[in-house]
This record gives sequence, structure tokens and C-alpha cells, in this order.
Amino acid sequence: MSEKGLSISVDRESQSLSLESEKISIEVENLDLYYGAKQALNKINMLIPENRVTAFIGPSGCGKSTLLRCFNRMNDLIDIVRVEGKMTLHGDDIYSKSMDISALRRSVGMVFQKPNPFPKSIYENVCYGLRLQGITNKNTLDEAVEWALKGAGLWEEVKDRLDENALGMSGGQQQRLCIARAIAIKPKVLLLDEPTSALDPISTLAIEELIFELKKDFTILIVTHNMQQAARVSDYTAFMYMGDLIEYTDTDSLFTNPQVKRTEDYITGRYG
Amino acid sequence: MEQTEFKSHISQRYNASLEDLFNQVLEMGGLVEKQLENAVEAIKCEDKSLAKKIKQLDRIVNKEEVEIDRLCASVFARQQPTASDLRLVVSAIRIAVDLERIGDEAVNASKLAIKMSKTDEVPCNTLPAYDYLMQILDFDRAMLQKVLTSFAELDINGLSDIIEYEDQVSAIKAKALVEIQQSLNNNSDALAEYIMQMIVSIRSAERVSAHIVNVCESIIYLVEGEHVRNVNSEKLNDFLNKAEEDKS
Repeated sequence: MSEKGLSISVDRESQSLSLESEKISIEVENLDLYYGAKQALNKINMLIPENRVTAFIGPSGCGKSTLLRCFNRMNDLIDIVRVEGKMTLHGDDIYSKSMDISALRRSVGMVFQKPNPFPKSIYENVCYGLRLQGITNKNTLDEAVEWALKGAGLWEEVKDRLDENALGMSGGQQQRLCIARAIAIKPKVLLLDEPTSALDPISTLAIEELIFELKKDFTILIVTHNMQQAARVSDYTAFMYMGDLIEYTDTDSLFTNPQVKRTEDYITGRYG
Repeated sequence: MEQTEFKSHISQRYNASLEDLFNQVLEMGGLVEKQLENAVEAIKCEDKSLAKKIKQLDRIVNKEEVEIDRLCASVFARQQPTASDLRLVVSAIRIAVDLERIGDEAVNASKLAIKMSKTDEVPCNTLPAYDYLMQILDFDRAMLQKVLTSFAELDINGLSDIIEYEDQVSAIKAKALVEIQQSLNNNSDALAEYIMQMIVSIRSAERVSAHIVNVCESIIYLVEGEHVRNVNSEKLNDFLNKAEEDKS
């Protein structure tokens, strides 16, 4: 009897994630960001893998939300922001002058800290982006709404009250509605900026479970203050500190054996 | 407590991790069972090649222990388990350590087969305490089967049998050593090297039962949340009887 002949599954090293074996969705190269004279991001280099959840953690002001907003050029809305370096989405330069910002934001959807449904019906919230794209066919919209609400784990709860005002939903439901609204236009990437910080623990777990499901269809980037949440939901974790990317690796490795002392000190609560 | 409890979290990933861990422990237990089974056959038949297969299995068992450690570390780091989930992870680490040691002892016990395969003049079953060694190994196998069933079903009902078996193993070992002592007094030096190996095998077989009792204690911690380590078999039995009474 040889070891190879035994039909058991002991050697699972191959299951360990490694960026080298991933298909890359976004490449960040020497990215600097300035708020006026103050530099907020310093020479960020990283590869974001496709169909994975990548979490950004770090103390307040470390630049994680600033970096997240770079991926769909939300920082353009701030006059004093200046970005240098390169960031590509499937090879297309996000910061090229020819980049169509609306098209970029269709490809890179975003969900914010506080649920922000429009004061419209549940149905209209979900198909808002599609209507902006000029889609008016009722069947197409119906199908998209159902698909997005199912994807956001909300369909069973709201299918009989799609015409009701979204503001009447619970906080957790509103946040899942916002996720449905974001995925309805089928972006490639989904940015989540502290998506559960305003929610109760059970709603938080529901959103976390949803994130795990959604990664089959989308590349997900999440900023969270909650380290445990990053550990629970992500495949890769980036630790940032004072605008620097300190350590970026698979989540198991980062939380069991970080290679940089500053990461270890942060995740073990020695400073924050 | 039922196994389904570990599959009822909101997070499917968490469910999968715990299920994976649970199955990995059972898988490792199955391999160690095979090692013990082979050890009995190898010694009976003086089968050197079967003894070598136990060694091969041991390398896989060692990898299983590492994998269980990795899974447990991952669950600790990523899911922050509490209550019964926490006890499952702690128990899995401890059980894996004991199973790995049982595997090592099976390798040591089976070295008798390798030793005896090198001589045609002394059949293994004529060595002093041979029958006692076989009895201990039979108890070991029965105990291991029971303890793995107990873990699989998260049911501590069958564990009192194991405590009783361990007492019997201790008594058999004492008899075996007396027989070996007498043999050493009566025989020439010609048998000494085989008898020495027999002593090693008996000690290893006896250690297996002690590790199985450790696994029992880990299962009690998992199911009842009680630490029952370092108590004698009488107290352990009292605890199990009381737990059974409370249940009924």
C-alpha cells in the first residue's frame, strides 16, 4: 500500500490561497494620493484577484477608505485630490484621460457604510441603474430586479411588496437592497465601505454570508474597522498604516502568522 | 448535543470549516484504526511487509495531525469560535495529538513482527506474554472503535466501557510482565533480544489504551463542557454514570 494509493485528503496545502495562482482583476502600481499637500497614500503596489474577497484593515486615517475610493475614482469628487501612479482594471487604465467615468462606475459598484436607499419603491431602487442605462423593457427590468434581489438574499423577504417604499425596510434589509442595487447593473467589481458598521450582529452575519456568496460573480473589496469581520469574510487581507500598505497576503496567513511586526501588533491589539 | 449543531450557523463557510474539522478527526481515527489492525496481523503472522505498511500509514497520520492543527488555527483566527464550537476546536487539537501518539505506538508494537521475521527458530507465538500482548491489542482496537463512534455521535454513553477496558488492560499488562520475568529467570540469553522487543510491544500496546482514555476525556469536554482530566477511573466512571442519569 503506497501513500499515494490511499484515498484520503490529507495534503491540502494546495487549498492554500496564493496570489501567484490567481487571475488578477485590478493592478495597482506605485499609487500615490495627495489631499492638497498632504500625502495620504504612499507608493501602493498590489494585485487584486478576481472573484475573491479582499479586505482592507488598519487604524482610522490609515488610508484604506481613500484607497477603496480610488478604484472607482470617487476621489475625483474632491477638488484637492491628486493621484499619481497606475491602476488598471482588466488591463484598462482607470486613471487614463480617456476613461469614461460613468462606464467605470458601472464596472465598479459601491456600497457605503450607511444604507442609502432612494425614497422610492423597492423595485425602483433596484432598477435605478438599469433605467439610467436606458433600459425600459418591463420584462428585462423584472428579470434583473428578481436576479439582483435573489443575489442579495432579499427576494424571499420582499417579493410580495416590491412596490412598497424602501425606507420602510429594516437597516439590514436596506443595506442588502443597496447591494442588490449595486449588483443589478452587473459590475465586475464591488466596493464595500464598512457595509455592516451600522447594523446589528445578526444583520451583519447575513451580509457577511452574502459577501461570501457574491464573490462567485464579483470581485469584492471591503474596507472594515472590524478585524474579525475581515478574518471571517475575506480571502486576502491588506493591512494599511499611515498611508502605507504594510502587509498584503492571504487571510489565513495574515491572521495566523503575519510577517511584519506592525501587522502582528495591530491584529493582536497592541496598538491601534 | 448533535452533530447538526455544527452546521446551523448563518455562515455556511463556518459550517463547512467545522464539518471539515469533524470529518478530518474521524478520517485520522480511521487510519489509526487501520494501523492497529495491521499491527495485530503483522505480529500474528510475523509479517515484516505489513509492519512496514504501518510505518507508511504513520506518515499519513502525522500529516493528518498537521492538517487538523492548520484547520483549528484557521477557525480560531477567522471565526473566533465560542461555546460548543470552541470546545470542538479545542477537543480536535487534543484528540489529534492522542491519535498521532497511538499511531506511533502501533509502529513500535509492530516492530516485534520485524524482529521475529528475521528468525525461523523462534515462532512469535511461543514467546512469553504473547497471548497477553494479543489481548491488550484486541482491547485497544475495541476501545478505539468505541471512542471514535462516541465522537462521531457526540454521545458519551459508551465511554464507561472504555474506562473498564483500560483497567483490564492494566491488569493484563501486570500479568504479562510477571510471565516475562519468570521467563527471563528460566531461559537462556538466546531469547533475551526477542523478549526485550516483546516488553517494548506490550508497553506500547498499553500506552495505546491510555491515549484512548485521553480521547474519552476530550469527548467529555466537548459534549459536557467538563474538564475530567487527571482523575482516576473510578471518578471518571462516577461522572459518566451521573451524566447518563441526568440525561435519562
